[in-house]
Amino acid sequence: MDMVAGRAWADERRPVRHIDWVLAAVVVALTSVGLVLLHSISATVPDEAAFWLVRIMKQGATAGVGLIIVVVICSFDYRFFKVYAGFIYLASLAALVLVKIPGIGATDPSGVAQRWFSIAGIQITPSEITKLCVIVMLAAVLSQIRTPEPTLSDVVKALAVAVVPLVLVFIQPDIGTSIVIAAITVGMLIVAGTRLRHLLILSVVGVLLIGLAFQLNVIQDFQVQRLTAFLDRANAPEDARYNLDQSLVAVGSGGLFGRGYLQGTQTNLDYVPRQHTDFIFTAAGEQFGFVGAMFILLLYALILWRAIRIAALAKDPFGTLVAAGIASMFAIQMFVNIGMVIGIMPITGIPLPFLSYGGSSILVSFAAIGMLESIHMRRFT
Amino acid sequence: MDKASSRLKVLALLVVLMFVALSTRLWFLQVLATTKFQQEAANNSVRFAYSEPVRGLILDDRGHPLVKNQESLEVRITRDDLGSDGEAVILRLSKLLKIPVHVIVQRLQTNQYYSYQPIPVAEFVSPRVRDYIGEYRDLFPGVEVVPTSVREYPYGRTAAHVLGYDGLIHADEYDKLKDKGYEQTDVIGRTGLEQVYEHYLRGTQGVQKFIVNSNGETIRALGVRAPTAGDDLHLTLDLRMQRAAERQLYDGLLRIRGTPTSDRSALLKANAGAVIVMDAQTGAIRAMASYPSYDPRWFVSGLTKGESSYYYDSPSAPALNRAIQLGYVPGSTFKSVTGLAAMKEGFASMGGYYSCPAEYTHPGDTSGTVFHNWTTADIGAMTLSHAIEISCDTVFDAFGSQFYDHYVQNQLNDSGLLLQNDLHQFGFGETTGVDLPAETAGLVPDPTWAEQARIGTDGPKLFPDGFVPGIDILTMIGSSYVQVTPLQLAQAYGAIANGGHLCRPHLVDKIVDPHGDTVKQPEDKCSRTIPYSPSELAYIRAALGSVITGGTASCTFAGFPTSQVWVGGKTGTAERPPYQDTSWFVGMAGKDANSPKYIVLAMVEQGGFGATGAAPIVRHVIEDLYHLPETHGGGCGGGDL
Repeated sequence: MDMVAGRAWADERRPVRHIDWVLAAVVVALTSVGLVLLHSISATVPDEAAFWLVRIMKQGATAGVGLIIVVVICSFDYRFFKVYAGFIYLASLAALVLVKIPGIGATDPSGVAQRWFSIAGIQITPSEITKLCVIVMLAAVLSQIRTPEPTLSDVVKALAVAVVPLVLVFIQPDIGTSIVIAAITVGMLIVAGTRLRHLLILSVVGVLLIGLAFQLNVIQDFQVQRLTAFLDRANAPEDARYNLDQSLVAVGSGGLFGRGYLQGTQTNLDYVPRQHTDFIFTAAGEQFGFVGAMFILLLYALILWRAIRIAALAKDPFGTLVAAGIASMFAIQMFVNIGMVIGIMPITGIPLPFLSYGGSSILVSFAAIGMLESIHMRRFT
Repeated sequence: MDKASSRLKVLALLVVLMFVALSTRLWFLQVLATTKFQQEAANNSVRFAYSEPVRGLILDDRGHPLVKNQESLEVRITRDDLGSDGEAVILRLSKLLKIPVHVIVQRLQTNQYYSYQPIPVAEFVSPRVRDYIGEYRDLFPGVEVVPTSVREYPYGRTAAHVLGYDGLIHADEYDKLKDKGYEQTDVIGRTGLEQVYEHYLRGTQGVQKFIVNSNGETIRALGVRAPTAGDDLHLTLDLRMQRAAERQLYDGLLRIRGTPTSDRSALLKANAGAVIVMDAQTGAIRAMASYPSYDPRWFVSGLTKGESSYYYDSPSAPALNRAIQLGYVPGSTFKSVTGLAAMKEGFASMGGYYSCPAEYTHPGDTSGTVFHNWTTADIGAMTLSHAIEISCDTVFDAFGSQFYDHYVQNQLNDSGLLLQNDLHQFGFGETTGVDLPAETAGLVPDPTWAEQARIGTDGPKLFPDGFVPGIDILTMIGSSYVQVTPLQLAQAYGAIANGGHLCRPHLVDKIVDPHGDTVKQPEDKCSRTIPYSPSELAYIRAALGSVITGGTASCTFAGFPTSQVWVGGKTGTAERPPYQDTSWFVGMAGKDANSPKYIVLAMVEQGGFGATGAAPIVRHVIEDLYHLPETHGGGCGGGDL
């Protein structure tokens, strides 16, 4: 290989030449859709226009910061995270413990949950960041396996890694993020080649633990109520049903082509509680109808396609596992969030990536994209 | 990790399943079920604010308003909103309104209204009260003062039974009517014309449509529809005639109360009565009086305890319109009708003579039943006209036997019940269809009825032998079992007067909307006819004329200027054990006997003889109708029937 050819070869493999532009474009598109929906919610609510303008600007600024995070993270070699996986993991556990300490963590207005730090007026939700930390740590552990498929002790080791943050998040209480962590774990175990028998045992144990949690009253009343409202809608109390009822009316009334931008009465007249955060999908369903909803699903499908493709193309098992973990994270968040909005999943507080209002969620999603890009860009180096 | 790519396919498959589930559900919600959700979304966000229409007026034939509207500041209490301190609130309100606590409590203690329905507890309060309650809203939770349009009766009790009154809509009525534009605080016609013509009088409520957000804040107003006032009722009733009828009825009752019963054992009670003035040619009711009466204004300001127990519970039953809501035995007034029926069936003729013995027994009857005339003398043979004139019972008894025999011979075919069919042709045994509520049909005794009739409610059979001849015989003289309303009798006499048209009695001449357009007029008022020739009807009218000039009412009408106003009529005295006799007089008055203009009827419960009880009332009403000076007949003795 001569120098010129070698340089050309190396040049060909320079990470910057292998940015996944499809992924980048889809993320920009989804973020834009999110801002458009956020604007529609605020547009016709009287007296709150100024308040909403602040929210839109905040969301836009967060997305801007998110893009910077993407650039920063993808400029690092993702293998860097493998080296520091242990530190990252322990730091996230520490954050989860700290947030529970009164005076350090902030309590949400309802007084039920204690989930975030408030630093200089900016809320930081450690459980969101935990998701990525768990992905990195699990990928680090699972990528060390030298056998064709993980042994039972490998699986238990991986589970031990996942269970500690899962429990810490669960007692916040933040069932939604617990579900996401569990799904990430299962997704990564599948990709790591775990035997079907082990996966079955795992699911049985999982079901038993959930039953135990109900028995021990670990689960808060409002969460039980949400679940019963989902399982037995007809007999559920009005309060418990209200959110879902309004959400179904909003999405259902959209019809095939939607009621038109800013023309949705449910959305624009503020009938759907939490429609800017967990229920943002109702705004799309009502205003843009089935066609609009399918367009958003298509954007998520593109992200997941790219994520799984990156997992397949990754240069090493660590990259494959991280990408698969991120794909699992996005998939479960999208499915549970949209599923609860349209009544096929119980209501749990899981934000819709890139669309739901909320700083930490957006930033973590962008960080995940940064990691995907980093893996994609360095698939030859 | 060798299997990574195949395991990634598993992950991809799971993701695909997620998309399938979400898309399927979205297809169901947004394409298949979207209509339902769009409806729900519309229900969510559209609110209506209603404004009440002004109720239509009720005017007499010359346009005098009998029922108008006036403004009232009304205090309403919503029981649900009174809060835990309800007693203190009511005590405070009681002091402010100067109304005793128990009166307010009494008006609240009703199960006619929902507890979330505002109940009026005081009307016509001063603006000062409204301002005070508005200022100290915290002291009066659940209390509101609202301006309302309520009824005003410029002539007080006049025509109370005809006009009716309004009342707050009841809980059960609201359930039925809420889709027809009624609100919980609305009034609704309760009785009389107010009830029958509710649909016209009410008008259309105004609607303002708003789009509201989830907090109930108005985003924008959509359409406005101003309320439309109700239609006005223009009555056939004439205020002057109505007042004359009521005054003459009342004066007559007072006069009768001073006279003894026929056996002189007691004074007549004359506790109740009715007077009807009807246009004989059209059925238009010009006056309809019923005594005892009530004051519709009580219902505007809320009934006091005394008024309430009088109206609802007193044995004199002032709520009843005795012209249409009770059936009475008609007595001899029925003979004009049954005499015509006897002529129609060939049992009597204008040229025939019929004996008037003191006693009558049905031929072949071995039960020993004897029917007496009102006198113990045998008056001999006479024409039908004369039998009406002096009201001979036994002449009609014999016709009754013939009706009965015909029935016995023709039991198996429909033509057997000649008398009953003839009476139904005259409108008896069925409601007249007058535009007033709760009219009764009366009773025409027939074999079916005789089979079922019992003494008391569950006692032994009234007629153990079934349909016996005595039933037809007594029906012929309007005695014992046959029951008519005063209005039915007036309708039948109207047909005799106008040449055979059975005109539906009516009170509303036309209904006029707020633009002045007539929206409704009674149709086919006189479409039914009775099958009698003009000469037969003229014959009966002549007989009725001779009742006045030489018959049972001759002393009552002594001195009446019959040269100026022709009058015919028939007395009736109906036994009504254990009560005193019902007194009747049905008169007709006009230029001549060919086409009398008015039917004037009086009925007095426990009023004794027709000639002495009811007939003078009719005489004075006719005098008032024709602006004649009030004169009095001679002192009539007993013996008139």
